[in-house]
Amino acid sequence: MERFGTFTIFDILIKYIKEGRIRLDKSRYAGRRVTYHEPCNYARKSEATFGYGYYEEPRWILSQCVDDWVELQPNRRDQICCGGGGGTLLTGYNEERIRYGERKIRQIRQSGADLTIVPCHSCHGQIKGVKDELGMPDLEVKYLWELVADCLVMEE
Amino acid sequence: MSRTSDPAALERLDIDRFVDWPAPYQYCLTCGLCAGACPVAGIDDFDPRKFVRMVSMGMEEELVEARWPWICTMCGRCDSVCPMEIGISGMVRNIRGMRERDKVPGGLQKGLEQVEKTGNVLGLPKEDFIFIVEDVAEEIAEEPGFSGFKVPIDKEGAFILSTIHNKLINTQNEDLKHLWKIFYAAKEDWTITSDYWEGVNWGLFTGDDRAMRMMVERIILQMDTLKIENLLWPE
Repeated sequence: MERFGTFTIFDILIKYIKEGRIRLDKSRYAGRRVTYHEPCNYARKSEATFGYGYYEEPRWILSQCVDDWVELQPNRRDQICCGGGGGTLLTGYNEERIRYGERKIRQIRQSGADLTIVPCHSCHGQIKGVKDELGMPDLEVKYLWELVADCLVMEE
Repeated sequence: MSRTSDPAALERLDIDRFVDWPAPYQYCLTCGLCAGACPVAGIDDFDPRKFVRMVSMGMEEELVEARWPWICTMCGRCDSVCPMEIGISGMVRNIRGMRERDKVPGGLQKGLEQVEKTGNVLGLPKEDFIFIVEDVAEEIAEEPGFSGFKVPIDKEGAFILSTIHNKLINTQNEDLKHLWKIFYAAKEDWTITSDYWEGVNWGLFTGDDRAMRMMVERIILQMDTLKIENLLWPE
């Protein structure tokens, strides 16, 4: 695989921001209470498998888009699984999966956030999928790159 | 404590059964940190310690037939707290991989078979794929600031190839737009591909290394053919 270069979504977004190739407007989400959920695979599982966990990169990107965001507790290596990992969105064991989501939704509720940012398709599907049933219908869930795209300042 | 009523069950125990696994399961102290960290523990009587103990006793049949390895989310919280560094989530994946493929629960195996046949989980023909992405690109071009937007398909020598999650092609087309708009804003030289665009690798979940390898090899094949040096795998 060394023949090729690889970028994670974090690498590429940081590169664009640091090189000044994209400009972001922090006022777009001003007044919103934002939090960040980290996926197992980018964080502790990446650390265990590849020796490096993406903990700080997404937080830096988030800080380029919004001033006021809060951490979930616990976080980073101890972050609670959203319940959508390991293919559980597709195994058909949905009752169990929704039950797992309770811890995540409680954690988000305690943070006071009304917008949760995730960089993972499974987490996105899971949190969006259980929030209504678990009593947070007004919670908004966005991809990290969706937040960045929403904050883009375009010429013209 | 009563003895097992089934002497055959004792004979089936085989402490060497998983001895070639790198996971040092025999060092388990049953301390319970894994159970405390696990989002699944308690559901269906699951407890990672029981799972580890069954591995150490070589209870292959019971493990492979159990729901436990499949209701586990493989989140790895157990691994990160385990003082003996046993690597439980990896063992769960191994056990998943030992189940007969037609008994893999839910849609995972069907999806993988579809990928093998058609290149993507949806079994979507190439012309339909191109229709969808071009349609989305036209919508982006209507937004202020993106008037020149086009989606590069199979562009030779592009700086980055980006794979795509099948759900964005299937029902969540709107969510294709975010990353593509960022590429446009950054004036990136990027491309997607029309054959093996699928970025989701369900072999990770079903414990199927062969399927994972097949999908990775297809992505590499495209990078070689199109002379692309960098991969972005946003899934």
